[in-house]
Amino acid sequence: MKTLFIATLALVGIAVSVPVWAHTPLLSCFDEGDGSVTCEGGFSDGSSASGVEFRLEQDGKILLKTKLNAYAEVNFTKPELPYEAIFYGGKGHEVRINGGDIF
Amino acid sequence: MKRFSVLCTLIICLSSSTVWAHFQMLYTPESALPTGKIIELRHVFTHPFADEHTMDMGLQHDSDKLMPVEEFYVVNKGNKKDLATTLQEIEWQGQHNRGKGFKSTYKAQRMGDHVLVLQPAPYFEASEDMYIQQITKTIVNVAGAPTDWDTELGLKAEIVPLVKPYSIWAGSTFTGIVKSNGRPVPYAEIEVEYLNRAVDLEHNATGSSFVEAPQDSFVTLGMKADVNGIFTFGIPRAGWWGFAALGVGSDTSYKGKELSQDAVIWVQAKEMR
Repeated sequence: MKTLFIATLALVGIAVSVPVWAHTPLLSCFDEGDGSVTCEGGFSDGSSASGVEFRLEQDGKILLKTKLNAYAEVNFTKPELPYEAIFYGGKGHEVRINGGDIF
Repeated sequence: MKRFSVLCTLIICLSSSTVWAHFQMLYTPESALPTGKIIELRHVFTHPFADEHTMDMGLQHDSDKLMPVEEFYVVNKGNKKDLATTLQEIEWQGQHNRGKGFKSTYKAQRMGDHVLVLQPAPYFEASEDMYIQQITKTIVNVAGAPTDWDTELGLKAEIVPLVKPYSIWAGSTFTGIVKSNGRPVPYAEIEVEYLNRAVDLEHNATGSSFVEAPQDSFVTLGMKADVNGIFTFGIPRAGWWGFAALGVGSDTSYKGKELSQDAVIWVQAKEMR
């Protein structure tokens, strides 16, 4: 019974983890030139990142925490101090872009 | 008499290989961009392997005036944007002559695939007394997210990729399907050429060759699609590879002369290292 339980758990684990691990989270940001920045999220298999958590952080402090919109995008006012844009697709599946690298 | 026949055959072979080796370039240095940027594009009608002659795009049989490009646009996330006004005339310096083409820039900013499509005016090939029009696709990706690369645009002549054309390892393969107005073209004749030259964007010129062909048949490689219009080509070397499906378009005449309306796609392979 114990063996069956463990096997079931393993199967469930595989079934759950495959969709997560089968694709890579992606983030791309650009400066709109009007004082704002747009970031777009996605996955390497083409699936939508709509609804995925997005954060702006400054020295570990969260400036903005939201979800990507229906187009898997977010637009925000460009922070004056150095910051990081973070696409959080789950534990171990986050992408960080330094604000200084966004043009 | 026999010698005359052999000579005639040779002349026909030589002239026909010259005609069929034409390739419309829609060149940019890099098809897989880590982040969005403004990219340089060059639109040149040439012979990418041998660089034996650069043609004047839009050359006509009945006028000294070159016909302008019919369409140039991009599709990203399903949105089509006209880019025709970005074209600037240039003279391209090949190894043996100069030919008229165009340069442009494009802001490949948004994530995903940017499908660039160029439909030049038919070009008059005097040696065959016919016109050639190569509807050409080059696909640039930003940040790795696939969005439009496999979209069928329903062009009169089109190669729809079945492999992402910007993420190909050298030594792997490229597969595509030849279509005309959305319908597969069985047993389409396809020619394949390697861009065998360094490209000098600053001077609009080609440089020295990378490899030498051991024999003429290696300059322009020939193959056919299967009954469903699908073909697969093993890519032996990193760089840009052009595929041209000949005469598959629905337009067959132009200004009263025969027209070969071809579908061209460019793919870029990378060294695995």
